[in-house]
Amino acid sequence: MALALALAVLLLSGVVDAADDAQARYLLHCRGCHLANGTGVPPDVPTLVDEIGRLVATPVGREYVVRVPGVSQAALDDEGLASLLNWILETFNADTLPANFRPYSAGEITEARKKVLADPLTYRRALRLDGTRAPN
Amino acid sequence: MSRPQVIPNGYYWLDQTARASFRLLARRVSRRSFLGRLGAMLVGAAALPLLPVARAFTQETPTEVGDSKTCEYWRYCALGGTLCACCGGTHKTCPPGAEASPITWVGTCRNGADERDYLISYNDCCGKAVCARCGCNRTERDKPVYFPSNSNNVLWCFGTEARTYHCTVAVVLGEAPEAN
Repeated sequence: MALALALAVLLLSGVVDAADDAQARYLLHCRGCHLANGTGVPPDVPTLVDEIGRLVATPVGREYVVRVPGVSQAALDDEGLASLLNWILETFNADTLPANFRPYSAGEITEARKKVLADPLTYRRALRLDGTRAPN
Repeated sequence: MSRPQVIPNGYYWLDQTARASFRLLARRVSRRSFLGRLGAMLVGAAALPLLPVARAFTQETPTEVGDSKTCEYWRYCALGGTLCACCGGTHKTCPPGAEASPITWVGTCRNGADERDYLISYNDCCGKAVCARCGCNRTERDKPVYFPSNSNNVLWCFGTEARTYHCTVAVVLGEAPEAN
């Protein structure tokens, strides 16, 4: 009984540790502009609440989320960036996240980061949420 | 039921419930097993504050060292600007009449008292002419302006009524992650 409890505490502390790191990374790399609750300050800073969950519903949107300059240029390695993005999606986008959402992997981040987004605003405007067409 | 009656009635109910549940417990559970479970619960309860979540984000107020009216104060390790603490505010609050910008940049500073790194939000206070009593320019882990979100050379008066820079405060957000 005591052993099981100790084991549970250890396991839980591992899980909490990972989430904790992601939250601390959020504070360090995103919170300055997007604020503690992710709402941002529109129109200067877009919100991260619910919108990102909608965007990741299509392959193009999913890739776009990584290619946005604030994400792709963050001073984080691909693994750290993947866990941070997954944390943002689970924390601020639980209501809009597709049921079949697969968490970002480090490899996916590596590939998306290679594609520089030269004109993010134009690209975003052209991006159709239904994913039927990949914008140029 | 009048108010004075509620309390004695509440005690009576508590008394009855506690008595009944202890009797039930005594009938069903052997003394040894009860002590075992109680022990496990005590150990579990004692271990809870050791969980990292309790450590990382409840410690909003680390041990303070130094004078917040000088640039050497530990929280100012990457502050570029003037100190609100010298202008009628404090190291974490704007002077009266100035508005704190919600948009900031976040860095990390090591607290000499406990040798730990903390996340520091450098909020500019805006809307009044610059208060230049205590200038300060430190650049630990500060990044060049091509990393604007980590640069103290940017004026961070965004999202405020007026964009005039007055002074800067340094707010502790929590402990820094192991690898930034």
